[in-house]
Amino acid sequence: MSAKDFLKKAFPVIILTAVVAISVTVLTYTDRMTRPEIEAQKETRTEIMLSEMFPEMSQYEFREEIYTVYSDGDEIGYAFIAVGNGYGGDIEILVGLEDETTLKGITIISQQETPGLGTRIAEPSFTDLFIGLDIADVALRRDGGQIDAITSSTISCAAVVDAVMATAMEKVKLIKASEEGG
Amino acid sequence: MGKFGKEFAKGLIISNPVFVLALGLCPVLAISTSIDNALGMTLAVFIVLLGANVIISLIRRFVPSITRIPIFIVIIATLVTVVNLIFHARFPDLYESLGIFLPLVVVNCIILGRAEAFASKNPILDSIADALGITVGFMLALLIISFLRQILGTGNLAVFGIHFFDLPVLKEHPIVIFILPPGAFLLIGLLMALFRRTGVMKE
Repeated sequence: MSAKDFLKKAFPVIILTAVVAISVTVLTYTDRMTRPEIEAQKETRTEIMLSEMFPEMSQYEFREEIYTVYSDGDEIGYAFIAVGNGYGGDIEILVGLEDETTLKGITIISQQETPGLGTRIAEPSFTDLFIGLDIADVALRRDGGQIDAITSSTISCAAVVDAVMATAMEKVKLIKASEEGG
Repeated sequence: MGKFGKEFAKGLIISNPVFVLALGLCPVLAISTSIDNALGMTLAVFIVLLGANVIISLIRRFVPSITRIPIFIVIIATLVTVVNLIFHARFPDLYESLGIFLPLVVVNCIILGRAEAFASKNPILDSIADALGITVGFMLALLIISFLRQILGTGNLAVFGIHFFDLPVLKEHPIVIFILPPGAFLLIGLLMALFRRTGVMKE
């Protein structure tokens, strides 16, 4: 095979390689440019959600997956993220605790439920049901709890309720342990 | 009508991407549940389709036909990722509401379809007209479908939080299947049949 034939055969591969190389450069550059801003966005978002849940919040501390919320130096609550297994994927929920037994409230951070049905779990008509509830009462009414499921969205509602309940139990243990320890 | 106008107008009806070309039906089924979603998806498709058509039209003379598909896909995926990152960093609210639609544009075969069928064979200005026309055609189709799905499946009409009206009986007893993907399939089929029958759209 002559060098000319070889070049002719290799030409498509060379072009493809060049396109991929350009693409990788562009992507690396964009990623590097946008990463700090994206990180900052996430930070502000959590802060906004926390201060909506705890209006008196003056600062917060994030340690071992738990946010401890302070108001002028006094501890006024805790928050953490629970992940539920929804109908269309993971449901991320920010759960606030007033003390070791009472919920302050919940906020849905992200979800991919069925639009118009399961997505209603993010609306206040559902999330407000959790405000001031005892952790032990976080269950759907059919299971003996205090939460009314949304019609035709039972799977999404159960996912939220189960995740909030299970994660709250687990985190309360951690909070109690760390308080006894220190 | 000039060539630009002709390439633009063809996307609306005679090669409407959804009802005539039947391209990108998977994302159409997935997101046409509300008018908000329809507009969000249209914006995402518009940015990527325009970018892809321009770039591919520019490099069309250098692209060997044997590796053209992988080259187009790399270009489209790169564009989508760049747009995704920039939106995430600069327009967090918009990014939030577009959600999964932006990454979904990669698998939307309207983009690859137009790259292959049009931009790789036509000069840049015509490719821009093609992108605009196809986007508007896509938007019209999505608006019709999502309007029907939203009112039949939820019994009310609200766009970007502005509430327009409630339907009396449907509000209490919405026809849930129209919100779910099978309902969209049914509706698209019926609309296609209607458009063919009335001669609005032909193959």
